[in-house]
Amino acid sequence: MKKIIALILTTLAIATLFTGCGKKNQTDLEYVKEKGTLIVGITDFEPMDYKKGSEWIGFDADLAKKFGKSLGVKVEFTEINWDNKVMELDGKQIDCVWNGMTLTDEVKNAMSTSEAYCNNSQVIVIKKGAKISDTAKEGDDFKGYKFAVEKGSAGKDMAEKYGYEYTEVDSQAKALMEVNAGTANCAIIDSLMAAAMVGEGTSYSNLKYTVSLNEELYGVGFRKNSDLTAKLNEFFKTAKEDGTMQAIAEQYKVQAALIK
Amino acid sequence: MSFSQQLPIVFEALNVGFLQTLKLFFVTLLGALPLGLLISFGSMSKFKPLSGLIKTVVWIVRGSPLMIQLLIIYYFPGLVFQNNIWGSGENGRFLAAAVSFIINYACYFSEIYRGGIQGVPKGQQEAGQVLGLKKNQIFFKITLLQMIKQIVPPMSNEIITLVKDTSLARIIALQEVIWAGEAFMKGSNGISGQIWPLFFTAVYYLAFNGILTLLFGKLEKKLSYFK
Amino acid sequence: MDNILEVKNIKKSFGKTQVLKDISFSLKKGKALAIIGSSGSGKTTLLRCLNFLEKANEGTISVNGEVIFSGSENQKLSDSEIRKNRLHFGLVFQSFNLFPQYTAKENVMLAEQILAKEQIKKNGEYNGYKTIKEAYEFIDNKAEDLLESVGMKHKKDFVPCELSGGQQQRVAIARALALNPDILCFDEPTSALDPEITGEVLNVIKKLAEKNTTMIIVTHEMGFAKEVADEVMFMDNGKVEEMGTPEEIFSNPKSERLREFLKTVLRI
Repeated sequence: MKKIIALILTTLAIATLFTGCGKKNQTDLEYVKEKGTLIVGITDFEPMDYKKGSEWIGFDADLAKKFGKSLGVKVEFTEINWDNKVMELDGKQIDCVWNGMTLTDEVKNAMSTSEAYCNNSQVIVIKKGAKISDTAKEGDDFKGYKFAVEKGSAGKDMAEKYGYEYTEVDSQAKALMEVNAGTANCAIIDSLMAAAMVGEGTSYSNLKYTVSLNEELYGVGFRKNSDLTAKLNEFFKTAKEDGTMQAIAEQYKVQAALIK
Repeated sequence: MSFSQQLPIVFEALNVGFLQTLKLFFVTLLGALPLGLLISFGSMSKFKPLSGLIKTVVWIVRGSPLMIQLLIIYYFPGLVFQNNIWGSGENGRFLAAAVSFIINYACYFSEIYRGGIQGVPKGQQEAGQVLGLKKNQIFFKITLLQMIKQIVPPMSNEIITLVKDTSLARIIALQEVIWAGEAFMKGSNGISGQIWPLFFTAVYYLAFNGILTLLFGKLEKKLSYFK
Repeated sequence: MDNILEVKNIKKSFGKTQVLKDISFSLKKGKALAIIGSSGSGKTTLLRCLNFLEKANEGTISVNGEVIFSGSENQKLSDSEIRKNRLHFGLVFQSFNLFPQYTAKENVMLAEQILAKEQIKKNGEYNGYKTIKEAYEFIDNKAEDLLESVGMKHKKDFVPCELSGGQQQRVAIARALALNPDILCFDEPTSALDPEITGEVLNVIKKLAEKNTTMIIVTHEMGFAKEVADEVMFMDNGKVEEMGTPEEIFSNPKSERLREFLKTVLRI
């Protein structure tokens, strides 16, 4: 009998250990402020979040640090298993996902998402001085033009969608080389890459990028019903107005994808 | 980046990852070896509710995938009770992984121990009793070594499996060696699209398991002087 | 001469089966008692009750006039009391039960070494020896003497699996003698041995009898019982059916059951 009672008591003790200090009626903002840290779930993803020495930098990382400062909390980055991002949020292992996350329906259903801050669209890259309008995107405009696209990429999907004549190459970088060498007239790559590698001050200063063929919007995810989402939208607004966002974007060469 | 430039970067990352693998391995052994013994005593207890409870727990732990146990132990407190007991960051992940592995392996070990203890003839215990030895003296001076001799082969099997199972911990983003190898496929430290680092992690496992196999072989040989 | 052992009204059941039905007997110091009877008659259980491997339900066991077990008083003995009481008896098992990881000599020394260490820690001395080192030296010498007495000194550093069955049983006898029990019990000491090597073990027991060791021997070897025992007890169906000198039991059996038993055994 004594042993049974001991058993029940132990079970209860373990149960209270789990439930003990979960506070109800606390908003996410209050929760983050009380513990003094904003934990940002990321993966290693240049140029958004990546490591320089032991520090996480990148367009997303730097903006997140600024956001943390505006809240008056420390920002901690933790690498997560991307497949588990929703569990990580809901289990309070992290407070937000800020990692060049595409705002798919799936993401929008499972999280409270911020307004999009980047549009990592597929863009057309062409030699400067080409006789093609910067807004042209229909297949007819490009009669006789050869495209280079990365194997199996979103760029290839676009080439098919618009009916371009294309060849598949190993990588986006290879596609640019083809245009530069004249073996292709155009390439389709994503705008983050284009901003970093094409135009003045890059290795392909004789190339330019033109029209966006699709939309791939990046946003930040919070727990459902979090009041941090509104806070971040406010922060984005001021960061756009005072030029902070543009400056950081240029530092990491993602300005082409920035939503103004 | 040329291959020879990649090498030092990849090796450094894999070494850091493998250190995590080793840490998880040794912490699991340190916890699961004694806990398994306690569980095996519990499952052999004459107090039926206790042995019944423990047998049920062992059944659940051995009968469900370790990967699910990792997810449950790491995410459940936060998801269900709104209380993430593991804290944030690497340490919390390691702690949760260690707890999952210790519980899981203790249950496996307990069954091996039980086989080992029950494999020692009852007469050994009785011989100790009639010589006036106490229960704990009988266990440590007589039963233990005979039990160890019996459990070395199944134990070495289980321990080598443990080395490889540590890779499951990357489901909760514990950055062990395979995680480190995979990172170079997506892109990390300026290297992307490289598959060979992932495959190369197998060499780490092979080397370490080779050492373990040698050690267990030595132990088995050392205990072969008696039957 | 006083009785060294007095057993009164021992009863023992396993579940609903009563294995020992009211056993009483006594044994004088320096005498050898042989217990015979068919399998299932309760001989081994009786021996195990004496050695506290089984707990009798009722009855008393006294050694040297001191009650060391009483079932009726429902007394709860502490572990250390059971241990102390236990050491009045030594037991030699049918299947030897030597500790396989230890050499012959270590098997003989183990229990006494543990005892000496404990007592020196607790009382500061064991058998007059103040340090563990001195005590161990004494135990070491004693073990060699014991092995010598059973003719096993030349194999003292062998582990059991390197010894034959008969040799193992001789070491087991030396081990049982190590703690100087008042009464040495044998549970069918030759049943697990090949017939041609039972002799070496029986000879050792015979020598012990000549030195007036108090012994209780459960055995199937009728010839041996006749030769060595001072008294023979015939057990049948959990009871002492008949007890007497070897002549009385073997030459002049009174009860029908004993006559039948002897007829069966001697025919084989």
